Amino acid sequence: MAFNRPMLRTSYQEDTAIFPTYFQKGAASLFFVVLILLGLGAPIVSSIPSFFLGSTWINPITNMLPLAIAALGINILVGVTGQVSLGHAFFMGVGAYTAVALGGNGDEWQACVPFHQELGLLEQEGQCGLGLPIWIWLPFSGIGAALAGIIVAPAAVKVRGLYLAIVTVGLVFIGLHLGRMLPSIAGDFESGRKWPKLDFRLWKEETPLVSFTEDGKWFGLIHLTEEQKQYFLLIMILGAFMLFAKNLVRSRTGRALQAIRDRDIAAEVMGVPEFNYKRLGFAISSFYAGIGGALWASYNGRMAPVNWSLFLSVDFIAILLIGGAGTVAGTILGTIFVELTPEVVKTFTEWLGEQTASNGPVAWLANILLTEGSGDFGPISTGTVALGWPMSVFYWNLVIYGVLIIAFLIFEPMGLYGIWVKVRNYWKRWPFSY
Amino acid sequence: MAATMLESVSPKAETMTVASLARDWSERAPKQVAMREKDFGIWHEYTWAKTWDLIETAAHGLLASGIQVGDRVAIHSEDRPEWVILDLAAVALRGVAVGLYPTNPTAEVEYLVSDCSPRVFFAEDQEQADKVLAVDPTISSCIERIIYVEPRGFGDYRDQRLIFWDDFLALGRAHREANPGAVAELMAAAQPDDIMTLVYTSGTTGPPKGAMLTNTNAGFAMQKIVSEPERFPDRRVPGPDDLIVTYLPLCHVAERIFSTWTLCISGASLNFAESIDTVTINLREIQPTVFFAVPRIWERLHASVFIRGNDASPFKKLFFRLGLALASRIGAAKVANGGEHTAKSRLLAMIGEPLVFRAMRERLGLRRCRYSASGAAAIAPEVLQFFMGIGVPVFELYGMTENSAVATCNMAGRLKLGTVGEPYAGIGLRLDPENNEIQTKHDGVFKGYWNKPEQTAETFTEDGWLMTGDVGEWVDGTHIKIVDRIKHIIITSGGKNISPSEIENSLKTSVFVKEAMVVGDGRKFLSALIGIELETVGNWALRNNIPYTTYRDLSEKPEVIELVQSVVNETNEKFARVENIREFRLLPKELDHEDGELTATQKIKRSSMMDMFGELVESMYA
Repeated sequence: MAFNRPMLRTSYQEDTAIFPTYFQKGAASLFFVVLILLGLGAPIVSSIPSFFLGSTWINPITNMLPLAIAALGINILVGVTGQVSLGHAFFMGVGAYTAVALGGNGDEWQACVPFHQELGLLEQEGQCGLGLPIWIWLPFSGIGAALAGIIVAPAAVKVRGLYLAIVTVGLVFIGLHLGRMLPSIAGDFESGRKWPKLDFRLWKEETPLVSFTEDGKWFGLIHLTEEQKQYFLLIMILGAFMLFAKNLVRSRTGRALQAIRDRDIAAEVMGVPEFNYKRLGFAISSFYAGIGGALWASYNGRMAPVNWSLFLSVDFIAILLIGGAGTVAGTILGTIFVELTPEVVKTFTEWLGEQTASNGPVAWLANILLTEGSGDFGPISTGTVALGWPMSVFYWNLVIYGVLIIAFLIFEPMGLYGIWVKVRNYWKRWPFSY
Repeated sequence: MAATMLESVSPKAETMTVASLARDWSERAPKQVAMREKDFGIWHEYTWAKTWDLIETAAHGLLASGIQVGDRVAIHSEDRPEWVILDLAAVALRGVAVGLYPTNPTAEVEYLVSDCSPRVFFAEDQEQADKVLAVDPTISSCIERIIYVEPRGFGDYRDQRLIFWDDFLALGRAHREANPGAVAELMAAAQPDDIMTLVYTSGTTGPPKGAMLTNTNAGFAMQKIVSEPERFPDRRVPGPDDLIVTYLPLCHVAERIFSTWTLCISGASLNFAESIDTVTINLREIQPTVFFAVPRIWERLHASVFIRGNDASPFKKLFFRLGLALASRIGAAKVANGGEHTAKSRLLAMIGEPLVFRAMRERLGLRRCRYSASGAAAIAPEVLQFFMGIGVPVFELYGMTENSAVATCNMAGRLKLGTVGEPYAGIGLRLDPENNEIQTKHDGVFKGYWNKPEQTAETFTEDGWLMTGDVGEWVDGTHIKIVDRIKHIIITSGGKNISPSEIENSLKTSVFVKEAMVVGDGRKFLSALIGIELETVGNWALRNNIPYTTYRDLSEKPEVIELVQSVVNETNEKFARVENIREFRLLPKELDHEDGELTATQKIKRSSMMDMFGELVESMYA
């Protein structure tokens, strides 16, 4: 409101604004500026991630961004529409393989695996890949996944709750099976194949118009490294998808989806066609998954079919539970938490290792926590793969995960976002409690 | 349209009416917001241009409905823009707007219709329309049109007089096409002496009487109450930047002045609360800058602060207590200094403001309130002092329907707590030397009661002063303190004169007491009938593990009687021995307008209370 009365809304536009108050507008712009400064490696701002994630902090953060896009997708399906799905990894895979089929390089052929030969799957010449530019393969990776969602939807709409979760788990296994059976698309089951790079070309020309995978000056202005360029590109794409997700929730479609979440029968009574909207929910969610999957694979360069497994789907459920289902901010928070915690733990262990090596001030702590070789009895093993006690960092991360999910389910079902809401409401009601 | 009006009417020759003021705003500031109404979660805005267009259309609609000069237009509705539009449209036509309380039951509607015989009746919804349609046809035959604005439920109503608001406006538009300038002509012909409204008195003692207020009365009230700079802190009179929340019945003279007339004279925008139940939420949304409330509302706000504060989490409670301690110091300092800050209180406020007060006022919806007033009944000084302490500038004022609410008022910087302030500059106000009755004489004094010449004559002294019926006394020779209504003064069998209102208000400062009526006329000692506040006492009972079922059951619990006894004891400590309440009884039911125990303004009807609860009273003196 023009005269600073945030609760006095004179139009529905004002009522459903993404950032209704000046404070929120300010906070959002500040956040945006911080993100840019981070990307540019501004001294004070970037010291925070480098403290937690080490000097190569930009890599785990950039790697997280495509996953955040996919997480927004699962939020639309689970958080907004209320359809519990464990099949997100499948849709991400569909998106990624659509991308590689359209944009990948067909000439590159890997060492083949005997298994495929036995089955006679390698009679075709090489892998399929049309080498098309990003402006074709990226949208189609989303569309491809969305189509898969639409195809699956009729089966999924018939079942609810736990049964839906089981049905969607089935999808993941179908996906894994297909990955094994179609080496011309998926490449070798263990080592996978190469994805198109994040380069912008008009068509199939040699030198890309804008390259995100080479260091260099951008627009003749700023010198950026490869990592920084990818960071900016993915941040922009993520921003656009966040905006779309926010907009969706406040639209007629979004309200219909939420009505179905809250009570599907009541929603139908109110005139919301349940089937159509559930299908739409699947389609939009899968679109996000497809884009996220394609970008993730492209950023990582090489992916094996085994990556699109149930673990990835479970990751997204963890993101929603820890972040807070149903909200964009919560989803992003959850992604940051779930994807970066292992990195932080890793950095911490590495730092402890350094402390022991250099006999630093907390070497005693490192001594207690770390196990190096036999005869030492810290809980954390520095060996790469170690089953049993002491556990490696990788398994510790899984344990932390499990504990966190249980803790959030018990103490804060609304997730990190719920904690924020509680804190906000505490001050909103000051000096009263209601 | 506007141009032809200006050509045909020279503004100076025209009598100022609320309608002409509204028209002037629409010419001066057509895009400025005049009113806001909340509908489906959104505050819809009415600009002055739109408002005046609606008023003019409605006026043509009234003309098409056969309204002549002096005809009455009855409005039976909750506060809503149509109330104001129809009110001003009636005035534009030199007609008379009559407001009915939305809570008026059929019997009272019948009485009012027979008393003022309106030609057009505005019944907002099915509920109000049912009441007027139930009126004896011989009485309601004077009504030619019944306008409704909420169409829900009217599907199978066959009464030919019923017309939907939009159709009524369409009628007006057609009439305007055919007779352009008809309204402007009538406005030009307005006389200062034209009756512009009938305001029915609440009728604590007999049937309501319709006080006739003229254009002169209204103009005088606006000039004195709204445009008097001395009343406002920093001498800033209300203006177009101010926001008002309209929530009390517009048929009451106080709300009419603070809403409709303030809108017309100052351009401050009116914001209609959705209903009396949502006032708290609406206040928070609007954050009005100018606020008027009756004591009952102030008491409720006051109680809600204490209840919520004491229910807060321990850390918050700590700050809440700190805030209360600061507020009481600041309040006391301000009271001692005419309502203005002293150096010390300003310092304390600087501490309290960011910690508690600003947030607290925001929750109440009074954060931006720069002027607020309490009137229409007596209020306990503690309540006002509390609000002054947390930074809400609140001033008590006094007036009555018959003098257009122009009598006394606390001026900014010259406030005296416990008084209703000083007489407005240049008005006649005196105390009758015989019985200390307050009497007024000025341009705001009404023309008389509608169709009741004898009763009109009874309210005036032989030399033409209006007898208010209130006993007052001078404080320091400048301020007036209201003792009580003459009729309420209790003379005990010991011959002592006692004013019950003060004792009643002191009882009502407790959050547990909703109603209190002190009796004792011609008796040996004072006693009281007390009605508990269901919400707070119920909450208290719950927390003390006292099970109860109904209001009656709750008020018969010995623990509750004990609780009220402690409230009575507290009050007794404040008063002299003869003014002490020796006995009390709790009322077995909640008082209600419909049952005839309260007036539409929620004042206790003493006579009918004695009829209803006579046995209860006798049991105290047995």
